[in-house]
Amino acid sequence: MNLIDLPGDAPVIEPGVTLRSLSEEVSDRVLRPQAPRWWWIGFGISLALFLTLVVATAWLFVNGIGVWGVDIPVAWGFAIAEYVWWIALASGGTIVSALFYLTRSPWRSATNRIAETMMLSAAASAGIMPIMHLGRQGFFYWLFPYPNVMDVWPQVRSPLWWDFICLLCYILMSIMFYYTGLLPDLATVRDQAQHRRKQMFYGILALGWRGSARHWRNYQSVYFIMCAIMAPMVISVHSVVGLDFAGGLTTGWHSTQFPPYFFFGAVISGLALVIMLTIVVRHGYGFQGIITAYHLNAMGKIMLTGSLMLGYSYVWEAWGPIYANSIADRTAFLDTIFGTYAPTYWARVTLNIIIPQLLWLPIVRRSEILLFLISAGIIVGMWLERFDIVIPNLARDWMPSYWGVYYPTLWDWATLAGSIGLFLSLFFLMMRFLPMVSISEVREIIAKGETK
Amino acid sequence: MSAPGRNYWRSLEELALQLMAASMALGGLSACGPEPNPRQLLPYVEQAPGIVPGRSRYYATATTQDGYATGVLVAHQMARPVKVEGNPDHPASLGGASAIMQATILTLYDPRRAQSIVGNGQIDTWESFITALYERRDRLLARGGDGLRLLTGNITSPSLAAQIAALQQQFPAMRRHQWEPLHRDNEFAASQHAFGRPVERVLDVGAADVIFAVESDLISAVPGWLAYARQFAARRRPDETGGQMSRVYAIESTPTLIGAKADHRLPMRPQEILDGMRHLAAAVGAGPQEWAQSQTKDASWLAAAAQDLMQHKGRALVHAGREQPVEVHLLADAINGALGAFGKTIRPIEPVAVAPIPHQQSLQELVADITAGRVDTLLMLETNPLYSTPVDLDFSGALKRVPLSVSLALYADETAEASTWLVPSTHEYEVWSDARAFDGTVTIQQPQVRRLYGGHSAQELLAVLLADTSPDDYALVRGYWQQEAQQKGRGNFEAFWNESLRSGIVNGSAAAPVTAAPKSDIAAGLPPTVPAETAITVLFRPDPLVWDGRFADNAWLLEMPPNGHSVRAPFFVLPGQAPDCITLPLGFGRRAGGLGADVGFDAYPLRSIGSPWQTKAALSKTGDMLRLATTQGHDRVAGRDLIHEGTLAEYQKNPRFLEQQRNEESLYPSYSYLRYAWAMAIDLNSCIGCQACVVACQAENNVPVVGKDQVLAGRVMHWLRIDRYYSGSPDNPGIAFEPMPCMHCENAPCEVVCPVHATVHDHEGLNLMVYNRCVGTRFCSNNCPYKVRRFNFFDYTLKNDRQAESWNPEVSVRGRGVMEKCTYCIQRIRTTQVDAHREDRPVRDGQIQTACQQSCPTQAIIFGNRNDPSSAVARRKASPLDYVLLEELNTRPRTSYSALIRNPNPAIESEKA
Repeated sequence: MNLIDLPGDAPVIEPGVTLRSLSEEVSDRVLRPQAPRWWWIGFGISLALFLTLVVATAWLFVNGIGVWGVDIPVAWGFAIAEYVWWIALASGGTIVSALFYLTRSPWRSATNRIAETMMLSAAASAGIMPIMHLGRQGFFYWLFPYPNVMDVWPQVRSPLWWDFICLLCYILMSIMFYYTGLLPDLATVRDQAQHRRKQMFYGILALGWRGSARHWRNYQSVYFIMCAIMAPMVISVHSVVGLDFAGGLTTGWHSTQFPPYFFFGAVISGLALVIMLTIVVRHGYGFQGIITAYHLNAMGKIMLTGSLMLGYSYVWEAWGPIYANSIADRTAFLDTIFGTYAPTYWARVTLNIIIPQLLWLPIVRRSEILLFLISAGIIVGMWLERFDIVIPNLARDWMPSYWGVYYPTLWDWATLAGSIGLFLSLFFLMMRFLPMVSISEVREIIAKGETK
Repeated sequence: MSAPGRNYWRSLEELALQLMAASMALGGLSACGPEPNPRQLLPYVEQAPGIVPGRSRYYATATTQDGYATGVLVAHQMARPVKVEGNPDHPASLGGASAIMQATILTLYDPRRAQSIVGNGQIDTWESFITALYERRDRLLARGGDGLRLLTGNITSPSLAAQIAALQQQFPAMRRHQWEPLHRDNEFAASQHAFGRPVERVLDVGAADVIFAVESDLISAVPGWLAYARQFAARRRPDETGGQMSRVYAIESTPTLIGAKADHRLPMRPQEILDGMRHLAAAVGAGPQEWAQSQTKDASWLAAAAQDLMQHKGRALVHAGREQPVEVHLLADAINGALGAFGKTIRPIEPVAVAPIPHQQSLQELVADITAGRVDTLLMLETNPLYSTPVDLDFSGALKRVPLSVSLALYADETAEASTWLVPSTHEYEVWSDARAFDGTVTIQQPQVRRLYGGHSAQELLAVLLADTSPDDYALVRGYWQQEAQQKGRGNFEAFWNESLRSGIVNGSAAAPVTAAPKSDIAAGLPPTVPAETAITVLFRPDPLVWDGRFADNAWLLEMPPNGHSVRAPFFVLPGQAPDCITLPLGFGRRAGGLGADVGFDAYPLRSIGSPWQTKAALSKTGDMLRLATTQGHDRVAGRDLIHEGTLAEYQKNPRFLEQQRNEESLYPSYSYLRYAWAMAIDLNSCIGCQACVVACQAENNVPVVGKDQVLAGRVMHWLRIDRYYSGSPDNPGIAFEPMPCMHCENAPCEVVCPVHATVHDHEGLNLMVYNRCVGTRFCSNNCPYKVRRFNFFDYTLKNDRQAESWNPEVSVRGRGVMEKCTYCIQRIRTTQVDAHREDRPVRDGQIQTACQQSCPTQAIIFGNRNDPSSAVARRKASPLDYVLLEELNTRPRTSYSALIRNPNPAIESEKA
């Protein structure tokens, strides 16, 4: 391979793609009567995993939270670790879509739909976790400030409440953002549809979009404003998740670095998942012309940046307990890196920081297989990081007489598998019925001739 | 049933009948079941004056352990006994109540108790049992009682003793045998030698300036230990005693509670203990001087202790545990004699139990007689020999040869299953009886409730043999005391009877001291020292909570973490154990009975008649791994400032030597408390780690039992726990006990993180839990640095196999998915406040006692109003020894601790340095 042939030099869109072929190709994936075989296999597996979640949740609701491995002192277990994990993945989607819209990055146009689809699917998985985690799940709505005869309101000093509000806003905003971005494409699909029923379906969804100049003017300003809201919001939502920990008195949690730490984690893990899904969509739907080596290269670089930022947080995570005059923080940290949970610590350092350094090499960034593997490693590594933040610190906190351990049960693992099933099922469904590349935005690139 | 409306009058009549039936069933709840005499206990039809729902009424009675009584007050809520408190007027309680005593209330209601008479494997009736026994009685009468045997534990009941005496007259050839697995044969054998007859010792621990404890159960199990612990602790609080403290030396193979509290403690092999005692005896002039020549590594330690003892003649006390061999007891007596302890710190009295014959010998004779075919009728009264006899006696084989064996038992235990007849016995709270305490004081036990499951008492059973076919426990006991009152000339019997029942003690019934003086040369003639062996020794010790196994069915005691006592098989390596010694707790591994069946392992199969307390053993690895259910995560403070500790010398030099600058600045305004600010102070010097408070809390606050799998899963529910921390070398560590209730922090970390306001600060400073509002985020538990919050991971309360009426109606039971924790017994606070409010006066200091405080034998826990500077709690908090845990977190707890002060002997200290 020619080393001068850098992936960054690849075209944003292959020359053969025209405005017409783009519309037809992307719409065709949605409108074709039969889904391809690989879609059925993928969706089948996802659905099976999702059913695991249904069973695990039913078991949980019938028997109580005790079916999980949580105990005292480790009162938060997989559910919270996975909540943070999923919300980071969701945030990663928003970062790609909103943040890089504001920077006018050309690689974002062909990938933002994948990122946003991922964001919504992951947000669903994230959203169920804190509710399942409650002792009395049926009363989760008490966190919502609604007027009631008892005149009882939520406790606004609690980081959990901030988190609840933030998450609620974020999910609602994400849905609107996604839908707004989808409008012109839905109209395109409607226009491409041959069958009456599909025309009706997409026609209704398109809300009467005709593509008039006025439509476009309003649309562009709305979309820009939404991006301008979403970008800081995604930073805030993950920072507030970080405050759940930073606001606590627990060893290893009570640290101001958590908000940026969690945001950095969102960047790297979100990018990793977008890369994996992009590769799947690119090959599954034959979008090699629209999504090129250029896109993968750009995302690989940002993932590398995320890894470096996260590495910085890891350094501070270690520095804090060493520098602070708190024997308890030090004990907890030493136990994290050398104690019972040491394998998870070193695994996450390896997967999130050390291996991603390969991305410095252009040859790695242009290899889809390597990108896919590194990304998968990061996804696993980020899960381990969430586990590592939640559990070892609780297991070794202030009161030595109450140090404990956490043994996840079968139901903990089933819930993890099930949440992955929920995510994938949603993603596969949206992939089948909604355009996976933003037709309107790629058109703009072709039209303006910014393909190179 | 007629169609509605068709026959109006008839259906009304039916309705009336139904209502009457229902009111009979509800109103006369305790009228169900067989009840021979309906005289004493009546259900309310109308609310009786003075009975207020939600208010406790207390009735005095006593619980017994190994026959020895401890006075209790049973709290009744709407005529249902719900809680056991110590009787402050009773000399064995002084208001304290042990874990075992308090757990009796759970046994009372235990649905697993034996409920039917079983004859030859078939459920049968009391009448047919009486018929069978009566038939046998006729034959026995003809033979003068030949072949009739009684097997009992210790008997201290005067009425039962009188009954047995009457039996003996009718059946001259009858014999009574006794067996307590945790007998004190060695102690009595020694006193036989020293005094020429068996005597009981009543100790004055408060008068002892120096205590030398030889694996002693002085403050953990000896009859009267609650009182001894009270006296002991009173001498260990330097800021209340003007800077004075007693000094305690302990030598022991298995860690004991007094060993944990000792100023100097040496772990020793059993043989080393014997050598050490010889050394000590020689050093105080109670034995030949050559004993002091032995080259023991602890010679200088013993010499210093001996000198200290000698300097406190008449104010010193040596106490050896029941497990020590006769030689050690003899040496202890000899040393006590030389120190002039008899008559000063030790008061010998006539034995409290009737005929304190050696239990081992007694049981051996019984088995020999059965084997020889000389026994055809065996009555076993509330004893379980099949489980607890030494293995080499083969009691189960012998029992099969007895044609008529009767087991009067609370549970269908091992013995009951193998006997011809099982007669369910009554619980102590269901029957009239009497019993004596460690000092001889008699309590007349009155029933607290109608017999829940039928059952019969020992007195009733023996009455049948005395030709009384419808025995009445009330008449039997009252009859005895009527006679006694006549003989003693007590005057008005009714007044005496009522006063005895009310106060829970029979006035002037304490035993008088015996006049006999001990021999001067007690130690003479002891066999020479044998060289120490290095083989591994297995020591048999009672489990501090299930005792000899008789409490193994009690869920509260099963789930209580034992403190510093036992090395478990499978192994639990415990700091402070003597080398080469393995301690096996007795009392587990029950094969039949209630809840305790198949829990743990049974150590009795290793115990032989010749050596009841220790044996040589070889160890082999099985290769099996077993997770042991322990409740403490880590045994050391791990660098945290949790235990403040110092010496008496330092304290005398500067009482403020441990004091630290408190830094309570804050950006936020603090709460103000206008009237009351409740607070607690816990004295680490007084806490002996006996777990009484933990059970008290569990009983008072309806804390559910979770079961072994949940303990393993880290989900114990105790609101109050006792942390035990070791310091120093694991061979001979310092031990500190630290009771941990909720700290009720001023800046409570739990309060700010609850998103729904389920845990809040009240106007009197209590940190409250609103169960109904809790959604179960568990953030509060994460945020609690003291880890005192407990979560209902499952519906533990529902899962508890417990009668509904046995829960405390004053405290909500908690459902699944909510957090709970110590409330400072808010129900008691509010009840007292309401009373004070009605009388238009403030709550007086000491009027509110939390459950833990009330039960504590050593008064380690003080509760009260911090706002009142004259209150006991405020005074203790003002002490320079007072400190709070994890102060650096600025939680500002309301529960504070008094530092642990030890009083080491400077001679030994300087040598160590």
